[in-house]
Amino acid sequence: MSNESPDYFTHPLGEWLKGTGPDHDVVISTRVRLARNIKGFPFTGRADLKQRGDLLRIANEALHRVHLEKSVVTLDLQALSETERDILVERHLISRELAGAEGPRGVTFGRGEMLSIMVNEEDHLRLQWIKSGFDVDRAFSAIRRIDLALEKVLPFATSEQYGYLTACPTNVGTGMRISVMVHLPALTLLDHVEKVFKAAQRMNHAVRGLYGEGTRAFGDMYQLSNQATLGRSEEEIVSNVKAIVPQVLEYERRMRGELYTEKREFVEDKVLRSLALLRSARRLSVQEMMSHLSMVRLGVDLKIITDVTMNTVNRLFVTGQPSHLQREARATLGPTEREARRAELVRSQLATGTN
Amino acid sequence: MDCQCCQKKPAHIRVCDIDDNVMSEQFNICADCWIFVKRYLFDQERHLAPTREVLNEVRQLISSKESTALAVAEAPGGLAPTGKPAEVPVCPDCGMTLAEFKAKGRFGCPRDYEVFHTHLDPLLERIHDTTPPRHKGRVPAAGESDDSLVRQRQQVARLKDQLQAAVTQENYEQAARLRDQINALENAVDAGKAAPGGTA
Repeated sequence: MSNESPDYFTHPLGEWLKGTGPDHDVVISTRVRLARNIKGFPFTGRADLKQRGDLLRIANEALHRVHLEKSVVTLDLQALSETERDILVERHLISRELAGAEGPRGVTFGRGEMLSIMVNEEDHLRLQWIKSGFDVDRAFSAIRRIDLALEKVLPFATSEQYGYLTACPTNVGTGMRISVMVHLPALTLLDHVEKVFKAAQRMNHAVRGLYGEGTRAFGDMYQLSNQATLGRSEEEIVSNVKAIVPQVLEYERRMRGELYTEKREFVEDKVLRSLALLRSARRLSVQEMMSHLSMVRLGVDLKIITDVTMNTVNRLFVTGQPSHLQREARATLGPTEREARRAELVRSQLATGTN
Repeated sequence: MDCQCCQKKPAHIRVCDIDDNVMSEQFNICADCWIFVKRYLFDQERHLAPTREVLNEVRQLISSKESTALAVAEAPGGLAPTGKPAEVPVCPDCGMTLAEFKAKGRFGCPRDYEVFHTHLDPLLERIHDTTPPRHKGRVPAAGESDDSLVRQRQQVARLKDQLQAAVTQENYEQAARLRDQINALENAVDAGKAAPGGTA
């Protein structure tokens, strides 16, 4: 098992932050997740500490027996500090639930932070692959390769009727959830988001906040995902997502265009005020940062702003989060200090001539 | 401070509503109600609703659940007309009951799907909007999976229990033998090879 370098936590390497890939004007990333459980054990929630310890060892042995990627990092979450675990959450490598849980649990991820495998989350294994932009096909084929390799060394719990068996019946069947992280500033500004959600729901897709289940949307970021995992094949789920998500993207683009042609002054004012604020503020709360970054991101896409890149904005969405700042400072920061540090980071990243 | 949802237990969790970057309202709720609220937000897709509304809805739900839970508790298992208790399925592997599953929304082990299968189908039809609720995707190729890792781990666990017993009984010769066996097995596992006699 490899050990992370000491500064590993302060430098996100996620490929999904690049701000490239298909439809990157609206889509931040595409994630495909598979839930898997190992035969012969109760689900994590009902396993005692000894069983969870055994599960973690079995999983880690299997993960290292199989060739997943050129270079992977395996972390024992019990050995990490709360800040380090939160950093992994901010980078979408683990869930909030796994960070806050107790007992033996771990994560293995690739150096590019595209692959991540959580052990002892609600299900024994949660395999996920994140790609920059709207790229369901590649994320799906990448995670299927991992799944096929792992099933050769791990007996997964399945039934003929219900497919892959999961702790929660909402995941049973394929155990597959595709989540597309989208940035919808125009639909939010024009108050059309609720309408989109309702339409997505009618087509059996769910919309959640940035960090998944039960979280609110920050910075106009939302996750669109398939609701049903049973009664459809993996390929059908993929093609449904590929049919529904582009409609949302088109809607957002149309609204961006309308805003820009019909309310040009309004948009330019909003975007440039946000940029000016981020470039001057001495204290920034995380919500404030995210909502102004959202406007800046819109401005970059509409070419109102030309000296900031999508990559810079995407990275700030992560490095400006509380635990990343804490770690970078190598000290425990109070809320006021954090706001000052955040403002400093944002100013330096958005300074003219740095992008 | 009392929970603003159940108005009974002490509140430990604060929920804030943020509208247009300004905190509009905040609520203090207890850990038990928070679990309900989270499930509710997820099940009903109400993430964007004002917390005040959500809390009202959850409060009503909890009070209606409490009354039905009470009715169930008063007649454990429900009395069949013959006077004998009706059969309540319990999972022989993990001890899960239908009532516990309904309360938690999570199963205890894979076998629960088989044990509760008659109760499960209507639920799965609703969640996944599919009739009958049957898997259509792929399943692991038969006979391809190698469960030696699991078996070895279970064998190590068994040997460790025996080692503990041997130490307690001061049977040190036996304990030493067991220790060597455990070491050999763990080394083999770590080296990624099948252990000698690993299937014993």
